[in-house]
Amino acid sequence: MKKQRVLWICLVAVLSLITLPVFSQGAKDSAATGPVAIELWYGAAVTEAGPPPADWVGYSIIKEKLNIDLKLTALPSNESDQDVKIQAAAAANNLPDLFMVRRDVLGRLVGQGLVAPVDDLYAKMPIRTATHYDSVSQSHARFAGKSYGLADPGSINKNEGLLIRKDWLDNLGLAVPTTLDELMDVLRAFTYDDPDGNGKNDTYGYGAFQEINNYEAWPGRRLEPIFGAFGVDGTWSLKAADPGLMVLKDGFFDAMVFLKKMVDEGVMDPNWLAYKKDDFRAAWKQGRFGVMREQNAAFAAESNYAPFDKNFPNGEWIVVDAPIGPGGHASIGPYTASFRIYAISAKAEKAGKKDKIAALLEWMASDEGYYLLGWGVEGVNYTLDKNGVPVADQIANRDLAFTGSVGQTVTQLRNMVFYNGDIELLARYPKYITATSKKEMSALEVLRTMQTKTWTAAIGSDTLPIPNADLKRFYEQGLSEFITGKRVLNRTNWNAWIEQFKKLGGQSWNDSAVAFAAEHGLLI
Amino acid sequence: MNKKKKVHLRTVSIAVKPTAADHSFNLFVDAFLILLLVVIAVPLWSTITLSFRPNDYIGNNLEGMFLAPWKWSTAAYKALLGNAGFVLAFKNSFKILVGGVVCALLLTIPLAYVLSIPTLPGRKALSILIILPYVFNVGMIPTYLLVTNLGLIDKIAAVFLPGAISTYNCLIMRSFFEGIPNELKESARIDGATEIQVLVRIILPLSKAIIMTIGLFYGVAFWNDFFHAMLYLNSNSLQPLPILLRNILMASGMNEYVEVSAFGDAPIAAIKAASVFMSAIPMIVAYPFIQKYFTKGTLLGSVKG
Amino acid sequence: MDQRAQSSVLFREIKRHRSVYLLLIIPLAYYIVFKYIPIFNGQIAFKDYMALDGVLGSRWVGLEHFRTFIRSYYFAELLRNTLMYSFGKLIFSLPIAILLAIAIYESNRPHLRKVVQTLAYLPHFLSWVIMYGILLALLAPGDGIINDIVKALGGKSVDFLTSTKAFPWIVIFSDAWKEMGWSAIIFIAALMGIDPSLFEAALVEGANSWQRVRYITLPSIRPVIVIVVLLRLGTILDAGFNQIFMLYSTPVLSVGDIIDTWVYRQGLLEFQFGLATAVGLFKGIIGMALILFSNRLVKRFGGNALY
Repeated sequence: MKKQRVLWICLVAVLSLITLPVFSQGAKDSAATGPVAIELWYGAAVTEAGPPPADWVGYSIIKEKLNIDLKLTALPSNESDQDVKIQAAAAANNLPDLFMVRRDVLGRLVGQGLVAPVDDLYAKMPIRTATHYDSVSQSHARFAGKSYGLADPGSINKNEGLLIRKDWLDNLGLAVPTTLDELMDVLRAFTYDDPDGNGKNDTYGYGAFQEINNYEAWPGRRLEPIFGAFGVDGTWSLKAADPGLMVLKDGFFDAMVFLKKMVDEGVMDPNWLAYKKDDFRAAWKQGRFGVMREQNAAFAAESNYAPFDKNFPNGEWIVVDAPIGPGGHASIGPYTASFRIYAISAKAEKAGKKDKIAALLEWMASDEGYYLLGWGVEGVNYTLDKNGVPVADQIANRDLAFTGSVGQTVTQLRNMVFYNGDIELLARYPKYITATSKKEMSALEVLRTMQTKTWTAAIGSDTLPIPNADLKRFYEQGLSEFITGKRVLNRTNWNAWIEQFKKLGGQSWNDSAVAFAAEHGLLI
Repeated sequence: MNKKKKVHLRTVSIAVKPTAADHSFNLFVDAFLILLLVVIAVPLWSTITLSFRPNDYIGNNLEGMFLAPWKWSTAAYKALLGNAGFVLAFKNSFKILVGGVVCALLLTIPLAYVLSIPTLPGRKALSILIILPYVFNVGMIPTYLLVTNLGLIDKIAAVFLPGAISTYNCLIMRSFFEGIPNELKESARIDGATEIQVLVRIILPLSKAIIMTIGLFYGVAFWNDFFHAMLYLNSNSLQPLPILLRNILMASGMNEYVEVSAFGDAPIAAIKAASVFMSAIPMIVAYPFIQKYFTKGTLLGSVKG
Repeated sequence: MDQRAQSSVLFREIKRHRSVYLLLIIPLAYYIVFKYIPIFNGQIAFKDYMALDGVLGSRWVGLEHFRTFIRSYYFAELLRNTLMYSFGKLIFSLPIAILLAIAIYESNRPHLRKVVQTLAYLPHFLSWVIMYGILLALLAPGDGIINDIVKALGGKSVDFLTSTKAFPWIVIFSDAWKEMGWSAIIFIAALMGIDPSLFEAALVEGANSWQRVRYITLPSIRPVIVIVVLLRLGTILDAGFNQIFMLYSTPVLSVGDIIDTWVYRQGLLEFQFGLATAVGLFKGIIGMALILFSNRLVKRFGGNALY
């Protein structure tokens, strides 16, 4: 009996010995006096690069200057995970003081009373407000008349373009297509006439993958130039004369027929439905297709262009105009002002941290904060060139430069300070000479060219109501089945499908969104 | 256990003349194993070659899958080892692994043993009590609320404590304990041993294989657990390997700064493949040790001895 | 026996096992805290959960969340797909894992045995992201290896990954491919416990190898097989979220969407935690019914049941 007791005590002791240190592991709350602790959940600039190190100089500067003890948490690396983490914390009323959040999720948090309004903060951050928050931004996260999120500028407008392999056109003696029919001829030639002259039938015309979001519905962003030719690019029409869901417009059926023709004639890379983003990007670098819609830096930045340059020193992509459709329409796609929203929890407001948060954000917009968070420490992570633009190539240790593996970790918060100003763009997209073909390239020039093309204004279309999961599925699945042939694409079937879509909630979705757009002055 | 007393099946079969049926059986078994070996080798090998794929690779999938070693590039592994967070993440994962497996086994073994005692009053009720939460999985939020109330948010223990007893593993273990001949336990009990003594002296030595196996199950589950780490851990300094791995696997999914890559010249596909191997290393190292306990007739020595 | 005697027998039994209950204290406390408190919190399935009001303070809404789920336009299809995948995996993957375990156990070639045993479990570590890459390399309509072969033979390439006919097979096969070695481990562990003297006896009686497997090997691991099957039936409506979520795409939603992916899109991403919890309970009811039924069946045939 005694032995048993000893054994039992041992068991408990072992168990507690093992668990106790683990329990106590973790961040300890700072003392009540000392600096104000602010918990910040940020969206990392380069998710895979890792967070700022524990001895990051920013922590001590922020503590000294602002009396803030900054606690950083990198949000997960994709949007769904971020949503889950934030909503779980919200469910337990355990949101951090300041956090990045998607607009859809923010709306639900506002409904739960978990987020503090920020209208009063703009006046407290004059420098930041001047560069970051214009009137579109201030109304972006407005719910029931109050602004519940600070909407920082997100990705640059119109930063994608329709690209064509100029060298393939030249090989085949073809001109740059301007109309949809000419484009189709080029796609056929790219598919069947061996544009790369390697003697193999291994090329396709158009390359794409499904990339969908609230304002670029199925088949998504990469195919908008085709739908734009029919005047039905994007989820929504915000034309005051004819607002509503594009899928309910006449041109949509014609666009679907055209897409089906591209698929059936084999001029689309048949992998397009199976590709994810990385596969798509690997494919054009291997010379699989000759027409695509791609982002300026994903195409032209040094590290992205290098493999293509090495594989095809004579290869050349050019940015072309959106093809003109039968009705005279043309568009690369819809564009909206994109934002990254940072919200303040109601809990933080209650704890009286709002002003401190404003001070922090305002400091980030000061020169000191801007350069420190954007590029790191001068002389260590970057140097300034004669125009005052941060450059990386004067840094001896390439890892430390803001583009290198260590430099990236100390600039993870740059999304909180950047606003797509000129200095940023020049620093982000420096001119360079390609390694193999010795061409001069500049992602910035590519961007400027892309922005001159025809786009469809759809500002605010990403704030319109979203459908429930069943309706969304019905919508996307139906469209894709018309293209894969599971449903036969003809007028009768199309109309029947549209009717069912309306009945399932499509009509009320359309109507509520039109009402919302009218109410918020989004119609043009 | 006495080594000499282990009777190996092979030595016995040699003594009797194999029949045609035996031959066909052996042929079938070997053919099946070779077939499966090929089937298993395909994903493994293609992941290996993918992890060594150079940045400017062009070629069809078949060449890609069986990429010749002289075309290999080690850029992916170099980039991964150079990743700032790798060592820290590995350490954190190791803490979760050790803490989790120790807790899990200390909790699971007694429970499984108690449930395996056929004469125990209330055994059926106890079993049902344990099966119910297994079947009724109320999901993320109810557990999240509990973890919050216990103050475990942003503590490493939060990752493994809610899963420290897996009913599945526990009931599997019970079924192995039940397989241990009753005479052994009874004779010990008659000798006046308490249940704890029976467990420690009789059951545990005979159950090394299953304890190792269940330990492996727990270990792998904790080692790979991305979801709970994502939910419960906030501090950057506590992030374990699966989070890092997920950041890598999902990289480029939403990065705004497509002009920079954390991995220099290594292609993202190679990074993904290499990261899988890097994170599986501890398990790959541990498995052969666990396999050692997988010897035939583990029970035999003690039953007869 | 009168009442008093009966209760005193029970009391004696309990007293005899008192050290057993001592062993139980910590695991039982664990179950109450970590398993039953969440179940208590699970009442949000019947509530309109508001974070600020907490679990107890939120308003009751009765069966509304269950109704939302059952009235989903796709409910029948979700249920069908989920059952198709979980039974498909049970019927296909599990026997392969058992066969693999037995083959490893029975093989006369120690080297082959060792190599298979050391490699077979490894695909378990390949995440579904990686597996998708491999499947794409094999099955892509443009340049997948299988389609290259089909085309070389004069056929027309097939888009397996977006075909509603091929997709279910891809899910079930790829699951077996990735998990068979891992699932086999438990059966290998069980096989190691077989008393070899049984085989001696069989040899003496002149049984051949097939008969040996049939009458000794398989019956010896039957308890473990039964337990594994019973436990998997209990979670029959978990059809493998991670796998499906990675593999499916819009063209195959009609055969790819399962309950868990639906809940993920509808519940977790839209702050409908009551709904997500309600679906969890719904799955539990089905699982429990299956366990009750099959446990009875197992008992009738004299097997080792769950309880």
